[in-house]
Amino acid sequence: MFRYYLKLGLLSIRANPALSALMVAAIAIGIGACMSIVTVRHVMSGNPIAHKNDVLYHVQLDNWNPDEPYEEPNEPPEQVTYLDATALHQAGRALRQTISFKSDRVIQPDGDNARPFQQEVRATTADFFAMFDVPFAYGSGWDAVADQTEERVVVLSAEMNRRLYGGENSVGRMVTMNKEPYRVVGVLDEWLPIPTFYDLNNNPYQGPEQIFLPFSLAISGEWGSSGNNSCWKPSENGSYEAYLASECIWIQMWVELASAADRDTYLQFLNDYVEEQKSLGRFPRELNNRLSTPAEWLVNREVVDDTVNVLLSLAVLFLIVCLLNTIGLLLAKVIRRTSDISLRRALGASKSALFTQYIVEAGMIGVAGGLAGIGMTWLGLRGLENVFSEYDFIAYLVTMDWSMVLGAVLLAIVSALAAALYPTWRACSLSPASTLRIQ
Amino acid sequence: MDIGPIWRAMLKNKAGFVLIALQIAVTMTIMVNAFAIMQERSNKAGRDSGMDEENTFALASAFFSEYDRDLMKALIDEDLALIRAMPGVRSAVASNSFPLRQGGWSMGLQTEPGANAADSVSTAIYFVDEHGIDTFDATVIDGNNFAPNQVSWQQQDDNTWPAYGIVTEALAKELFPDEEGSVVGKTVYINDNDPVNIVGVIDRLHAPWPSWTGVERTMLTPQRRTSEFQRYVIRTEPGYRDALMPEIEALLADSNKDRIISDVTTMEQVRKLAYLGDTAMVRILTFVVMLLTIITGLGIVGLASFNVSRRTRQIGIRRALGASKPAIVRYFMVENFIVSAIGLAIGGVLSVALNMAMVEAFALEPLAWYVIPAAIVALLLVGQAAVAGPASRASRVAPAIATRSI
Amino acid sequence: MLQMNKVSKVYRTDTVETHALREFSLTVEEGEFVSVTGPSGSGKTTFLNIAGMLEELSSGTYELDGRDISKLNDKERSKVRNEKIGFIFQSFNLIPELDIFDNVDVPLRYRGMKAEERKRRIGRCLEMVGLASRLKHYPAQLSGGQQQRVAIARALAGEPRFLLADEPTGNLDTHMTDSVLDLLTEINESGTTIIMVTHELTLADRAGRNIFVRDGQVSDGPPELSFAAAANS
Repeated sequence: MFRYYLKLGLLSIRANPALSALMVAAIAIGIGACMSIVTVRHVMSGNPIAHKNDVLYHVQLDNWNPDEPYEEPNEPPEQVTYLDATALHQAGRALRQTISFKSDRVIQPDGDNARPFQQEVRATTADFFAMFDVPFAYGSGWDAVADQTEERVVVLSAEMNRRLYGGENSVGRMVTMNKEPYRVVGVLDEWLPIPTFYDLNNNPYQGPEQIFLPFSLAISGEWGSSGNNSCWKPSENGSYEAYLASECIWIQMWVELASAADRDTYLQFLNDYVEEQKSLGRFPRELNNRLSTPAEWLVNREVVDDTVNVLLSLAVLFLIVCLLNTIGLLLAKVIRRTSDISLRRALGASKSALFTQYIVEAGMIGVAGGLAGIGMTWLGLRGLENVFSEYDFIAYLVTMDWSMVLGAVLLAIVSALAAALYPTWRACSLSPASTLRIQ
Repeated sequence: MDIGPIWRAMLKNKAGFVLIALQIAVTMTIMVNAFAIMQERSNKAGRDSGMDEENTFALASAFFSEYDRDLMKALIDEDLALIRAMPGVRSAVASNSFPLRQGGWSMGLQTEPGANAADSVSTAIYFVDEHGIDTFDATVIDGNNFAPNQVSWQQQDDNTWPAYGIVTEALAKELFPDEEGSVVGKTVYINDNDPVNIVGVIDRLHAPWPSWTGVERTMLTPQRRTSEFQRYVIRTEPGYRDALMPEIEALLADSNKDRIISDVTTMEQVRKLAYLGDTAMVRILTFVVMLLTIITGLGIVGLASFNVSRRTRQIGIRRALGASKPAIVRYFMVENFIVSAIGLAIGGVLSVALNMAMVEAFALEPLAWYVIPAAIVALLLVGQAAVAGPASRASRVAPAIATRSI
Repeated sequence: MLQMNKVSKVYRTDTVETHALREFSLTVEEGEFVSVTGPSGSGKTTFLNIAGMLEELSSGTYELDGRDISKLNDKERSKVRNEKIGFIFQSFNLIPELDIFDNVDVPLRYRGMKAEERKRRIGRCLEMVGLASRLKHYPAQLSGGQQQRVAIARALAGEPRFLLADEPTGNLDTHMTDSVLDLLTEINESGTTIIMVTHELTLADRAGRNIFVRDGQVSDGPPELSFAAAANS
């Protein structure tokens, strides 16, 4: 029987080609507009480390100005000082802990003709790779001993390895940065967390750094941060030592706990640490330390900007217009076919049989609209890519999420069914005798 | 034409008309709010940064050898001398940033010294020498440019400040709102207690952050910093920019092999990038409004066609009873006018409501008064145009159809 | 057997009450060919609609083969209609998007019959009405008489026990009228009960029994008819 309904649906769609095309196009365009914006928003607000959301925590300590909060109403600074970062890292009270910052180095490739180039690097500690599930193609990260001994080692991204060594296993080879040699100990597999949740302060959509090396090494080389750096009081003098001892915040700190149950314990540890520091004359503000899961941290930093939210609300309205359009047309179509409905009733079709027939027909419009909507979403994303071509993150929109695709089709079918429900119900409850006599 | 019978006929078949009215209402809501956003964004993207953007470009130089301070000073002086000596270069300056770059230095200024002053005004700061005014195409409207001997050298992360400053007119107004006369010679305090003497006022120079509400507030301070990283802003004579960009890049790269030249960009590119989000928004919304108008128009065409074919017999009877072709066309036009008017009335309310919500949530500007009437006229025209086709088809129904039984 | 006992049908609008049938009683036996005549507005179409369960009755009882119809729900009614009743309309009411085969197929589809059985029945019925060669034609490609023959084939395909015809020849010329009536007579002779509503007394003569309806009730009928009927017998 279902096949019979499919056949009748097809016949009816063929009988009104322009109108059916209009309905399908309206659904497709509405879905396309909505889904492209949803995809952008999804990519921008994605949580690439969601699978460890209950054990990873971003650390904030409130060492700020006694007279004003870092951010209204009473937000602690989003980064920590060198003093606190190293003290907490040393204490090692979490399962794993990472302190890191972003810096710039000049890479000098081997060969006479190769030109040196500037590159963002991340100075971090050994646990970084295990904590954030960073995949390795060759070798591995460095160990805690290397952190202490300031070993001159680096980990390269897959892309950097391709650029420097054509993608071959480069573990053991030497890289020259700012005229100093470093030994490659590991090469990453493709790794593109978007946004780069571990450091949301500095353009989180341009992808991770290409080179990673020990934090202690960067400090002994007196490197500055190329990321955000805020101070509420001037350091003693202009020297690097004074900077390290200052209340300036410039380091991102994350910890991994064995389970979510340890969150309170670790927060208590932070509070105890700050109380101790208070007795030394630091931390003039009230206790205001914070641990945030990656998801909480992404929301806190409001990584999705208003432009996308404005567009999303307009896109939803847009979809509503398209659905109203389709409902109106379906209604008109069904009203015109009351004689067909009456005739079929006279020939023995029950209300439910007719209802099914019309719902199947609307469902077909929905499926067609949904499939065309996938195409429209693809076009919409290409359009956005074109319009935003100068933004780095837009490259990640190339991949359409399959769950998103499924969502689009489902949304279209549900919309079409919802659109068909009222007119069909109306048509089926008409008295069959009324239209049979005179057409 | 009498509206009464048309209205009563519409009441007999409410659902279809209610849907189209709702569609028109939502279409209008989107149209009005999209237009408000487009207007705001394109105004923003069209602002004058104060620079001679057409003839200015910038580049960055990063040394990767360790140099001591004196050598660094000499190298930076040499760079500037080389650049300024190039034929076609009008002026050049080493600055920490420039308008539209979206990254820079900001500080709070206050008119009284002390850590707890309440009247702190935040401002963007550009580190420049006496060539800064001309490079940034600023006009000194009060006081003077910096004298060469006022320009000092500071260390990279230094937090001490020269005792002189040039402020934009907007910043002067913000600092001294009640001052009727000149602010030249007045002292403001930076870093709580460090005095800065205002030596001049310039007309306009934007801060590096185009989305900042205080974008008009800028201060120039006469200093250069001994840092491996230098940013040079170069203004050329008209027509020389494109030729000079690669020449100067090569000149600097060849003068010292231990450095990297990067970020060679024209101010036009910088502007494009700075307002990318805004221009993109305008383009997307233009497209959305066009598409939406088309869909709504087609929806009206579709429904009207249906109504026409459903009423073919009725139309034939009317024709047989003496209705003229224009009368039939008018019937459908008036019908559409009524539906549109209802939809637009609802749409007007929805538009204002959504606009208020968006003003609240996204800090947009409220609607201009003429947007809603303009949208009403536009959508009425779209509706009438859409219904014209089916209506004229209806008018061609032969009166003879009335006498046929099928 | 079809049995109506004191059936009334009232149409109500905001301002008017129209009594289409008033205590209408009628019994039709198995195998009869009954014609129903009467002036416009007398209630003969309402009677047919109620007989075919296209409309509900306001009061009274209606039994079809001993089953009280008013006690059935929509699904059961649809089933009874589908299995026991065939309809023939004045305006044929063929579905324009479907070809002849598919038109005749419609009632069989709602019975959930196997494909081969449907095909066999459709072939047989179309052969009976002389249109077996036009399977793939669409209604618009046929003459009025041919369309009505298709409609009859459609009504017969479900092998109904009752055939309800509403002015079956109203849209046909004399020649075609005769051939359709011959067909109906043939169908009746093979055992199907036929109830035919018409306003043409000459057609009514072809039926075995005549019912005259006036003001929603079975009436004695006009004298001419009685005379004709008497002369006929």
